[in-house]
Amino acid sequence: MSSGNDASTQAQKRAAAEGRAQGLDIGWTVFSYLLAGMAAYGAIGWLIGRAVHVSLLFPIGMLVGLAISIGFIIYRYGGQGAVTRPSSRGNAKGDDR
Amino acid sequence: MTGDVSALASGGCHIFSGCGFPAPGLQDFEWKPLFSIGSFDFTKPMLLAILAALVVIVFFWVAFRSPKLVPRGMQNLGELAILAVRDQILRPSLGRKGDSYLPFLVSLFFFIYIMNVMELIPLLQFPVTSRIGFVWPLVFIVYFLYLYLGVKNQGAWGYLRNMIPPGVPAPIYIILVPVELLRFFVFQPFTLGVRLFGNMFAGHLLLTIFTLASWYLLSLSVGLVYAAGSFALAIFVFLLETLVTLLQAFIFTTLTATYIASSVEPAH
Repeated sequence: MSSGNDASTQAQKRAAAEGRAQGLDIGWTVFSYLLAGMAAYGAIGWLIGRAVHVSLLFPIGMLVGLAISIGFIIYRYGGQGAVTRPSSRGNAKGDDR
Repeated sequence: MTGDVSALASGGCHIFSGCGFPAPGLQDFEWKPLFSIGSFDFTKPMLLAILAALVVIVFFWVAFRSPKLVPRGMQNLGELAILAVRDQILRPSLGRKGDSYLPFLVSLFFFIYIMNVMELIPLLQFPVTSRIGFVWPLVFIVYFLYLYLGVKNQGAWGYLRNMIPPGVPAPIYIILVPVELLRFFVFQPFTLGVRLFGNMFAGHLLLTIFTLASWYLLSLSVGLVYAAGSFALAIFVFLLETLVTLLQAFIFTTLTATYIASSVEPAH
């Protein structure tokens, strides 16, 4: 009985640790996406704006990049994705611990 | 350390004495060389980084120089340290298959932790990682391993393709390429390094501010009340930093483990 409880506690601890690692990974990846989206399309907007002499294209590019990043974050991690992703990794590792 | 702070600490510079509070700043992270070899200056942070590496090497060498089946003394402590990294950092991201990376992650975690915790040890009292020059080589090592393992396990083209999850429509794929490339090669390593550096830098600055302010405000006046408040905050920040030093080493190593995991097997 107690060994069953121990196993269940171990499994809970393992799940918590996996959730923590996933959370850290996703959190900082999302942050990187937001910065990267603004920088990438801000740079593209700046380059086009410089060529056509429209300086407004730089902030517009940044906003477009931010929108693309947010859209992709929702697509990749939002809703069902956030739930399935950790378990898919868990399956990949197997239960051989 | 600069003259301002040492002058305050050694002299009788207090509130209402007219000397003014020399606020800590970037200058407190600049060190005079301990000695120079030609144009190369050897400074205190360098000495502390070497000391941190020696602490890690000596500790694990002493713990496991003659390992016993039933651990005793230092071996107990060593095993505890290794198991903590294995169960809290490595296994949650990499599973049992990742055990071959355990020596790397244990070394990385304890090296960073010792460099961080030096902030709180009297006389040493400087976190090496608050100098960003000591953080970038660690980020470089992690990223080199990350890329190497990714290319080795998935092939160069497969690795680049796997950056964007499958099922994304072709036009969206093209739109995402610049974002993904910039995220992967610039912002992900940047945030990995800057987070560690920023937290340790800010923590050391806060500790310096409240410690110096306690001394500066100390006088037989209303300043005594402020000094007590500042001292209480210094103690609070000190306690907070005991957690932050551990947490930052943990985050850096956990993210390294997740990066290795995504290189070994791509996320779907």
